[in-house]
Amino acid sequence: MKNLDEITRLGADDLDRISLDESIPVPEELATRIGSVTKPRTRRILWSIPAAAALAALVAVGIGLTRKPALEDTFDDPYLAYAEVEKVFSKISGTVAYGADKVSDTESRIDKISYWK
Amino acid sequence: MKKFYILLVMLLVSVSALAQNGRALYEKYSDLPDVEAVYISPAMFRLIGRIPDVELQDGSVNFGPLIKSLSGLYILNIPQSDAAANLADEVNRFVKKGNYELLMEAKDNGEVTRMYTVGDDKVVNSLVMLTRDGSETSFICLDGSMPREQLEALIADAAKD
Repeated sequence: MKNLDEITRLGADDLDRISLDESIPVPEELATRIGSVTKPRTRRILWSIPAAAALAALVAVGIGLTRKPALEDTFDDPYLAYAEVEKVFSKISGTVAYGADKVSDTESRIDKISYWK
Repeated sequence: MKKFYILLVMLLVSVSALAQNGRALYEKYSDLPDVEAVYISPAMFRLIGRIPDVELQDGSVNFGPLIKSLSGLYILNIPQSDAAANLADEVNRFVKKGNYELLMEAKDNGEVTRMYTVGDDKVVNSLVMLTRDGSETSFICLDGSMPREQLEALIADAAKD
């Protein structure tokens, strides 16, 4: 029997010749031993196909969600759009002004109370 | 299999993150019945930016420079309904998740207004205003790169008037 070094030195032709040589006996338990060493791949293939399909579907959904259609502008005229922006700023300012008024009222009440004390 | 689950979780997280902005809320609610919706796109803001500054001036307040820094405006006005309550809930969640800072809160006769901003010391990237009274819920979201100093000065100036 050849050792590992001798086998690695063999060329492809030598290996072909040896494999075709029927005079070399094949151990009866060889097939069983090979089967016990190599893992069956069928289970992995079984779950990997639906998993890949599910992943592809999720990626497609994800792409669909990220590629949003362009929203339509409410106004065609920039002057009208500007008027709306101005209204928004007025609303924001109005809210801030309301808050500032309340603070000012409270401050003046505190001042009056401090004065009468 | 483990990698598959990790990918699945990442995808779901990214999808839920996408839903958390003014645009997503606008898309969700703007087509509902009885909803008043206004959207101004970045392209329209660029057009507004071409209007001469003199015309963008309202009394002593010059909106021009600030308007040029805006990239989107979303407004939703929803009459009191389940949709209005859902919108308010979603806005509260999205300002929390988006690390928005409460700028101010005003309560008057059952009307509650909250204003939030997100950005840094120099730039405000988004301003959200949510107003709820007994009859209506109003949502305003302004996106852009607004110089904080200009925004605050403008609000302060307008508040004086």
